Amino acid sequence: MVKVDSYEVPEGLYYTKDFEWLKIEGDKVRVGITDYAQKQLREIVYVELPSPGSTVKQNEPYGTVESVKSVSDLVAAVSGTVEEVNEEVQSTPEILNQDPYGKGWLLVIKPSNLEEELKNIMNFNQAVEWHKSLVKKG
Amino acid sequence: MPKRIVIIGAHAAGVDAASAARKTDRAAEITLITKQKKAGYSPCGLPFVLGGHIPSFDKLVVFPPPYFQMMKLNLMLETKATNIDVENKTVEVQDKDGKNQTLEYDSLILATGASPFIPPIKGREKPGIHVLRTIEDGEKIDQAIRNGAKSAIIMGAGLIGIETAVALQERGLKTTVVELLPQILPAMLDADMAKEVQKMLEQKGINIMVNKGVEEFLGEEKVTGIIAGGEQLNADLIIAAFGVRANTELAKKAGITIGETRGIKTNLRMETNVKDVYAAGDCAESINLITKRPTLSQLGTTAVRQAKVAGTNAAGGYAVFPGVLGSAVTKLFEMEVGATGLTEFFARKAGLEVVTGTITSKTRPDYYPGGKSIKIKLVVERESERVIGAQIIGGEEVTQRINAISIGIQKQITVRELAKADTAYAPPLNETWEPMVLAAQIALRKL
Repeated sequence: MVKVDSYEVPEGLYYTKDFEWLKIEGDKVRVGITDYAQKQLREIVYVELPSPGSTVKQNEPYGTVESVKSVSDLVAAVSGTVEEVNEEVQSTPEILNQDPYGKGWLLVIKPSNLEEELKNIMNFNQAVEWHKSLVKKG
Repeated sequence: MPKRIVIIGAHAAGVDAASAARKTDRAAEITLITKQKKAGYSPCGLPFVLGGHIPSFDKLVVFPPPYFQMMKLNLMLETKATNIDVENKTVEVQDKDGKNQTLEYDSLILATGASPFIPPIKGREKPGIHVLRTIEDGEKIDQAIRNGAKSAIIMGAGLIGIETAVALQERGLKTTVVELLPQILPAMLDADMAKEVQKMLEQKGINIMVNKGVEEFLGEEKVTGIIAGGEQLNADLIIAAFGVRANTELAKKAGITIGETRGIKTNLRMETNVKDVYAAGDCAESINLITKRPTLSQLGTTAVRQAKVAGTNAAGGYAVFPGVLGSAVTKLFEMEVGATGLTEFFARKAGLEVVTGTITSKTRPDYYPGGKSIKIKLVVERESERVIGAQIIGGEEVTQRINAISIGIQKQITVRELAKADTAYAPPLNETWEPMVLAAQIALRKL
């Protein structure tokens, strides 16, 4: 794992510029929001997620995450069908602040066009560079 | 078509208004305009950067640019709003290259803030008079210190003046504060309480001159000194902290009503006299919860609380702003200073008959090491027996006591009720008899 400023960027994940991470697990992917996102949002109070069985489309919002200071759309990293939804994070949203890459995962998706769509998102090295640019902007 | 919300100003009030608007309407097009290079930072932190408690001015940015992206807020930096047309619902803006643009709005929020002002004193047009309002102001003062400034004069002993004086003393400058009134922190403390703070500041080496008006700025190419109370004082750094004035020029020009406090007048929903135009923050009036009269609170907490209401309403929601008590705290060296409600002075000025209860106590039992002195003054209205104000100075735990009393005042607590308050106790944390309860008991005897 790399730390850019105080923001964690773990290896082995893909990242989007909508502050989502994506982990390939066999023929499925697990997604969540990045450490940078949760730190910007601060205390998260509400997470709205789709139901299992619904479909999501790359670059389109599928839910929202609301904190004391803001509200932000959750934008799909890839297209596919929602297989699992993290219910714990819905009942205890602070998990997202405590462990964004672990217990704070949001969805498990069965992707429909993974190989093509991965080309549109950042790998680890690109994500590290992008985080550096975010910190610089700040 | 999505609702278009334009916000003029992008600091505490502007950004919090945007956040509330976004929470209310997920699809609205929200645009923030600011003249400054940076948005979303905390000006309240400036003296503490100068004092070396925060490593850099950049750290004061609470909302960095990616935050605006996450919230889908359109941020226009270094852009000045030049005119508001309330008939056609447009705002004219000009960017740093002089390019003009007209923005259409469905709702407009004025979060234009306030600016430091310098009274009409001879020589005030001379360059070299510093103020402390923006990061750029802070950087200039910091640069002057790095360039070898050894002494400073601060004109004005309000919160900003005193916090800045502490910062400069901490940086090793020989610091003098000049105040026209007979006491420091006049908006926050009564003279008896202010005297204790002044004594502490003087012990730390700050030279404080009260009852001294600034009569002239001296210097040829730049200001190098002042005449105050007939006496000539010179210093490397001259800082004006006379106070701030609400920025209302745009509003005035647009026909928006300005109140008796020179702030923008609003209703309980933070809407101005012009429909769909809201105001929040240092430019907007509030109602004082005790006097029920308009007041200019100009505190960070007031700004964000007003902004949340303005933003919610501007986006089509419903929210009401209850008013202010002016609760404020600060830390000067090791001393915490806080106040809420009216001081005895301002209560009497408002025509109220009051009794007060003052006590000096400790923050822990005598037998427990590390306890610090704490002094509490309560102000009680005689007829209703309600607590209407409190001032606390001490070594620790001032903020939450102020907050507790503030909530009590909002709930119209009487001094009898406060004297019977069910408080908590453990030796490492406080005394069995809570000092604010003791102060209430003292006030009670005078009724």
